[in-house]
Amino acid sequence: MISLTKDRFGGVLFLLLSLSYGYYAADIPLLPGDKFEPFHAQTLPYWLAGLGSFLALLLIVSKATPSTQETPLSRANVSLMLGLLALTLLFSLSLPWLGFPATTSLFLIASYWLLGERRLKMLVLASVPFALIFWLLLTEVLEVYIAPARILYW
Amino acid sequence: MLDGMFSGLATALMPFNLLMVVVGCFAGTFIGMLPGLGPISAVALMIPITYTLDPSSGIILMAGVYYGAVFGGSTSSILINAPGCASTLVTTFDGYPLAQKNQAGKALALAAYASFTGGTIGAIILIFTAPALASVSLSFQSADYFALMLLGLTSVAAFSGKGQVIKAMMMTVFGLMIATVGNDVITGAPRYTFGALDLVDGVSFLLLAMATFALAEVMMTIMRGQMHGSEQAMQPVALSSMKLSRDEVKEVAPTIARSSVFGFVVGVLPGAGATIASFLAYGLERNIAPPRLRKMFGKGALRGLAAPESANNAASTGSFVPLLTLGIPGSGTTAIMLGALIAYGIQPGPRLYLDHPDVFWSVIISMYFGNLVLLVLNLPLIPYISRLLAIPPQILNPLIIFFSIIGVYLVSFNTFDIQIMVFITLLAVGLKLLNFPMAPMLLGFILGGMLEKNLSRALVVSDGSFDFLWQRPLTFSIVCITVVILVLPWLLGLVKSRLKATLPAAY
Repeated sequence: MISLTKDRFGGVLFLLLSLSYGYYAADIPLLPGDKFEPFHAQTLPYWLAGLGSFLALLLIVSKATPSTQETPLSRANVSLMLGLLALTLLFSLSLPWLGFPATTSLFLIASYWLLGERRLKMLVLASVPFALIFWLLLTEVLEVYIAPARILYW
Repeated sequence: MLDGMFSGLATALMPFNLLMVVVGCFAGTFIGMLPGLGPISAVALMIPITYTLDPSSGIILMAGVYYGAVFGGSTSSILINAPGCASTLVTTFDGYPLAQKNQAGKALALAAYASFTGGTIGAIILIFTAPALASVSLSFQSADYFALMLLGLTSVAAFSGKGQVIKAMMMTVFGLMIATVGNDVITGAPRYTFGALDLVDGVSFLLLAMATFALAEVMMTIMRGQMHGSEQAMQPVALSSMKLSRDEVKEVAPTIARSSVFGFVVGVLPGAGATIASFLAYGLERNIAPPRLRKMFGKGALRGLAAPESANNAASTGSFVPLLTLGIPGSGTTAIMLGALIAYGIQPGPRLYLDHPDVFWSVIISMYFGNLVLLVLNLPLIPYISRLLAIPPQILNPLIIFFSIIGVYLVSFNTFDIQIMVFITLLAVGLKLLNFPMAPMLLGFILGGMLEKNLSRALVVSDGSFDFLWQRPLTFSIVCITVVILVLPWLLGLVKSRLKATLPAAY
């Protein structure tokens, strides 16, 4: 019986991706007469879907390679990574509303705190002056236009 | 050729471009030192900055960062046994034991001299080989280009290591799939946009590079817990004397010369790159060393440090040959540079030599300056630069994340790009955990558009028949090499397993 190794799991995911990629290739609009041309907008997607499926099947049926010694991932570190990505998402959502200096300062303070920094002085000094200097550098020195916070006009 | 060379020299000697070399080397050294972040991440982090510069200055800055990162990787390999990138992994074999014997200064100096010589010899060979290859490749047709791209994509997969070939090919296909998102380059038909206006122009190269190589690398470092406990390891080591004795120089000089030429040749091969060059050079030196010295390998042999250091720098230079002359990147890092050049509206390849001789030559000439900067400025400053490593990781990592996302935002001023970036980072982290290599994906993505255009042209010219693959001797030769490269790993594996079965004692 085939056991579900990391490789095979990746293979199954890629097979599904290739099949759905091929399925949606049919939605690509063609110009009139394109069907009679040797190469049109759907050609490469169909070939790639076929090649991708073939390679995925090859990976699924091939002998599993011995896994290399890796440091096991701890749940805490995975949560840390997800937390940082969530903060990045929050950064993108709050940037237009709170403006560059405030969003950057808050993002940095929250990230430092998430990664274990608890000294208040360090949290503030490594974020607020950095955000202000970077913002001044962008707007005053490099003359990059950065939209002001929308909240100020509410 | 001389006109172009002088124009390139004048461009490279412009004070601003010299400054870019210095800044690039410093920034690269620092980023390259950070465990987990290698030349690809360092160059990716520089892309947003280069968008504000003219093409020559931008590419010069990137080349400086590339060298600096390779050098920085060697420094952390020697000082804290943590290679900054894969190509400096071999440096730890003998570099760290030397540091443990209180010879860290000597090891760093030797690494710098070897890197300088490797880079210089590589740059000299490049000056002569690149124009020759560029003039030959002027006669290339669409079919040849298509075959060449196939060769580039195949060899990146083939050289990706044991058990990784299929996965690397899958990632190449995945990169090609991502490249098809957006309006079709030939007919303008929307593909895989699902009605989203933000996807009409396709996935941004900068966004993909930053998400997969800068942001995902930091996330992996955090997830593997490498930031914990590394603070102590990153404390600067007291460096001893940086002087090498006359006998030591005599011992390593032939090694450096051999490894430089060898490294350059390996670097030219698309997909092989600096990592394979450093491993092969180390193996070669160990095999040809007299038994007395062979025993020292792995315990602090000077030859064992000089060989990979000169080979990886020469290979970095060599990887510019296919990029500048054929428009096909030889490594992940040069793939990012190719993307940056395309973003400037410059198409690397044989026409680059004719249409933009200033870019072509200034890059080659600035490589030499880059090596000089690393030797003259960086080496004495290493004790001070390495102190930057003492910045606590809980402060450093959020700053790297910030620079990655703000780099993408400052190009498009669209916060939706940051959200896509988070999604791609999550996907890249998942793929990395499943041991899928990322460089082939980026290569596939960058070459996708060109590959489709050339394939379409070749098929239209040959009326839908694939005989263009064997009609011209040149195309046929490239196709044959591609097939050999594709089959080689399987053949070698087969031979090895047969040998293992017959000669078990030998293994």
